[in-house]
Amino acid sequence: MRAGHLVRTWAAPLLLVALHFSVRNRLGADRFAPDFLLLALLTYTIRARPGASAAAGFFVGLLGDALTPASFGAGALAHTVVGYLSSRAKTVFFADILLVNGGLFFAATWLRNFLVALASGKLSGPQLGWELLIWSPLQGLTTAITGVVILAVFRQWLSVRLGTR
Amino acid sequence: MTIGADRYATRGDTFVLLVCVVLSLVAMSLPDRVREPMASGLRRTVLWPLLQLQTQSEELRTSRARFAAVVSERDSATLASTLVGELQSENARLRRLIGLGSRLGSGFVPAEVLHQATPTDPFTVVISAGSRQGVRPLAPVVAPEGLLGIVSWADARTSVVSTWANPEFRASGIAADGSVYGIVGPHGASGPGAWLLELRGVPYGQDVRFGTLILTSGLGGVLPRGIPLGTIVALASENGWERTYLVRPSVAPGAVSHVMVLNPSRGGGGGTAGGGSDLRSSFLPDTAKPVTPAPPAEVPRRRVRPVDTTAAPDSAIPSDTVKHP
Repeated sequence: MRAGHLVRTWAAPLLLVALHFSVRNRLGADRFAPDFLLLALLTYTIRARPGASAAAGFFVGLLGDALTPASFGAGALAHTVVGYLSSRAKTVFFADILLVNGGLFFAATWLRNFLVALASGKLSGPQLGWELLIWSPLQGLTTAITGVVILAVFRQWLSVRLGTR
Repeated sequence: MTIGADRYATRGDTFVLLVCVVLSLVAMSLPDRVREPMASGLRRTVLWPLLQLQTQSEELRTSRARFAAVVSERDSATLASTLVGELQSENARLRRLIGLGSRLGSGFVPAEVLHQATPTDPFTVVISAGSRQGVRPLAPVVAPEGLLGIVSWADARTSVVSTWANPEFRASGIAADGSVYGIVGPHGASGPGAWLLELRGVPYGQDVRFGTLILTSGLGGVLPRGIPLGTIVALASENGWERTYLVRPSVAPGAVSHVMVLNPSRGGGGGTAGGGSDLRSSFLPDTAKPVTPAPPAEVPRRRVRPVDTTAAPDSAIPSDTVKHP
């Protein structure tokens, strides 16, 4: 039972991490290709407590920062906040409904990009506007669609329903 | 099983959140000399297998295109070998087909760009070659179209490249005809000229035509001479006796997938000022004449200079001169 719980908790996130570094570069431009690493975090937060989700977000963000040193620390901050809020939001909304999760994926992606852009201080003016109004919503959309597909595939393990309540 | 019923945040959860937020703020405030070893440590340990996976994936993605190119080159070579009398000229044509790598000959390390999902990706990128392949800090990183940036940190198998879009980037630039010197840097992150470069410090009396290609001058000893930086597209400002021009970059950091890291023997990475090889013929194969810089002080005021059409990468660029007030 314990081993089964561990597999259920970690299988989907680990698969998504692998997809991020192997498949993502074939899914179009980086600016709107789905962010599997963020999806891995959000999938983990479905079953985790807010504290653990914040810690996982910090770790995922720090790993991302190591690959984009221009915003070192900003990714960790953004993913920490997104991980915590995602875990909290799922206690407020219906965490086991597929479409609600899709909406949360979209919002989390946009919020992550907003916090990274804000905390790094690298983007401003029209560049920030384009990022928040065009590119981030597009990336949020592709990430949400991908997340919904992943949840549909792993619905038994993640306790997600395929309809609306 | 319904989830979430026991997941309301406790004081412990809030405490973990605050600790993570504080640690993130500390990470943001770290100086470069501290954060780079930390990031390098993560890339060499936790991220190493994942970066290898991404490198393999990039190679697999482009293997089909590479195969087609190799077959094309082989067919061309076979055809050329049948024409003994024209073998030399055909060989030159094939070398152009093969691309920048052949023109450079040796002294470079090929690498894939490992793009990430965050909005700040174009400022610094990670490439799949490191110190084991001979990459050193301050080595120039080029794409076939021109300069992408400079290596800011080299791990064993990966390196961090600070691109031209990074606010700290500066390069000494020179017009392709050798008439104008200036300092090239990013134009800034806001306004209509975002994602453009600018050429600063051009004397007021010197005209620069739109469409003029700007190359690295080789001054400073970091970048070798003759790497394309971009093309003059507009006059940005006039401040006293100097002008600043907007430069459309030759390379888009977000779009480039394969790059070459030049070795220090080519004049970058701590060579002598102005020394090193002239790479103009590598990037502009049709231009045989080397850059012969003219001192700015000897240039007469308001002289209209012809555009070097062989050096202009884009014929669609208007060749109007800058209008004087």
